[in-house]
Amino acid sequence: MPLIKVVMAKMGFDAHYRGAMMVARHLVQRGMEVVYIGNRLPEEIVRTVIDEDAQVLGLSSLSGNHMVMVPRILALLRQEGVQRVKVLLGGVVPTEDQRALLSQGVSAVFGTGSSLDAIADWIEAAIDHGSDAVHA
Amino acid sequence: MPKDASDALGSGLNHSDRTGSGIAVKAVYTAEDVADLDPVTDLGNPGEPPYTRGVHRDMYRGRLWTIRQLAGFGTSEETNGRFRLLLDQGATGINCVFDFVTNRGFSSDHPLAEGDVGQGGVAIDCLADMRRLFDGIPIDDVSVSLVLSNPVGAGAIFAAYLAMARERGIPWEKLRGTLQNDFLMETVVLTAPNILEPAFSFRLSVDVVEFCTQHLPQWNPISFAGYNYREAGANAVQEAALVIAHALAVAQEMVRRGHPIDSFAPRLSSFFTADNDLFEEVAKYRAARRVYHRLFQERFRPQDPRSSRLRFHVQTSGSALTAQQPLNNVSRAAYHALAAVLGGAQSLHVSAYDEALCLPSEAAALTALRTQQVLVHETGVTRTADPLAGSYYVESLTNEMERRILAYLEEMDRLGGLVRAVESGWVHRELMGTSYDREIAITSGERKVVGVNCFTDDVPIQIELFRFPSALEQQRETLANLRATRDQDEVSGALERLRQAVVGEENTMGPLIDAVCAGASIGECCDVFRALHGGWQQPLL
Repeated sequence: MPLIKVVMAKMGFDAHYRGAMMVARHLVQRGMEVVYIGNRLPEEIVRTVIDEDAQVLGLSSLSGNHMVMVPRILALLRQEGVQRVKVLLGGVVPTEDQRALLSQGVSAVFGTGSSLDAIADWIEAAIDHGSDAVHA
Repeated sequence: MPKDASDALGSGLNHSDRTGSGIAVKAVYTAEDVADLDPVTDLGNPGEPPYTRGVHRDMYRGRLWTIRQLAGFGTSEETNGRFRLLLDQGATGINCVFDFVTNRGFSSDHPLAEGDVGQGGVAIDCLADMRRLFDGIPIDDVSVSLVLSNPVGAGAIFAAYLAMARERGIPWEKLRGTLQNDFLMETVVLTAPNILEPAFSFRLSVDVVEFCTQHLPQWNPISFAGYNYREAGANAVQEAALVIAHALAVAQEMVRRGHPIDSFAPRLSSFFTADNDLFEEVAKYRAARRVYHRLFQERFRPQDPRSSRLRFHVQTSGSALTAQQPLNNVSRAAYHALAAVLGGAQSLHVSAYDEALCLPSEAAALTALRTQQVLVHETGVTRTADPLAGSYYVESLTNEMERRILAYLEEMDRLGGLVRAVESGWVHRELMGTSYDREIAITSGERKVVGVNCFTDDVPIQIELFRFPSALEQQRETLANLRATRDQDEVSGALERLRQAVVGEENTMGPLIDAVCAGASIGECCDVFRALHGGWQQPLL
């Protein structure tokens, strides 16, 4: 089975990267390839996903900007015809925001306290079986 | 019925025989464990070298810690309102947090900023915002902590504060407060677009220290942010060692610039966390004070006893608080606050129970404030200085913390000092390594977190989340207004003088104050720094 490739990004000025780094490191431990690109504009994030031919986009939100930034990224992915990419959101995401973003096309949300293995397991299952949106 | 019911019987108790940083702990400590402890040279009296027992003679009996709760969200008016509420309800100092855009020295109308303006802190773009932020606040009377983490923006925003004070007729010598101004925040702890090179960020931070040494005798121009090193992944040993290494590096640079140690060292200050492992935290504070004193004495030979005195603010741990079962956080934060007080903190912020969910709501902010007031007025722990002194356990732990802190400092010395250690990625790797080990321990369940990996339930989180309107529109208006009403030539000239100060290795504070007064925005000032020394890639993955 080819390596699962994940692009991980921070959105806007969100400054806290520790969680994203932990997930990135763990996914590498679990045999995936991770491209971490730091703070980027939505256009840059989507460009990287296309250039890297990634199956998964991991977005980290600790600063609360997800309701502004994530819909924009989803729209760009659709516009570029790469909506097959599984978009995962992690961090501090209130329940009602999770619901809204899942209905807009985010594949899964992993809030604070999520297990690193659970995230890796989800990705493996999703890429193997092409699963639908899951609320984690 | 809580899950893991068998745990309720104690079979799942965390019997780990190691502290959070990995120090092995015995079941029982006796006098033998401290037989070598010399009460005179190892402990001393509170307020006297080696300061193990605290930095003031009667500690809280003589001077209570400052009750300094954080406030900052939305616009300057909204944050001003929270300042007033907290001061009204018994807070004794101001602690202002800025949004990431401001803290990083960017304008609120930057293309990347849209989702972040006013989120996580107050949005400040120019002098007019600063006036509104402190409207009606007696800044000549109350101590003001400005959590300007990153040197890139700290000078510019502090320049606006100083300009505002001058407009109000308050001499700078009367101002009391603190800046964070920590280059590790900028280059290690936080991420952002277009980061300054570590050596330049460090230089900017020392410019502020130097300026304050000459003009603000009551201001703490830097606060070594151990709290944040910890939140980024460090353990207690690393936290203390990095704080001390940073203090030594700043002192060394100030001396290199020609300033006698006693002219600035008394105003160096620090910032620690108070986390779960109560006795380890107490030992950390005590060991840190002793090591700091001994190394400052050794390396700089100060005459003023205040030059080797480690004073610090504490914030109770944010990352230890959980989204699940948020009311548990009230007790967590209370235990943390107790550790800080038993450890002799000079100033304290207690984190709010909704920390993992949102910015502090008014209710959560007040509960945190009351937690401090209960500590002060009901527990009696302020009655005597360093109450845990002489404890077989705490003195043994303090000694062991000291050994490990010294070993870590030696390692950084071998790397060529702190700035080199950052440039090479060593500090990043150390923090990520410790962080990852901890995450694995939590993921595996070996390290227990109540409500997260044990004693969990399916009860939905019932906390009312604090939401507030975006500050973006107001900030856009403020910036438009600023550009429309200023003399553009004057601004351009001032920014050019700032650029010359950077290139000519002069202190940047004077030109920053002039630029801000001329009507330059914070973002425009900081763009000058980035144009010359930006674009540093953090050595992460």
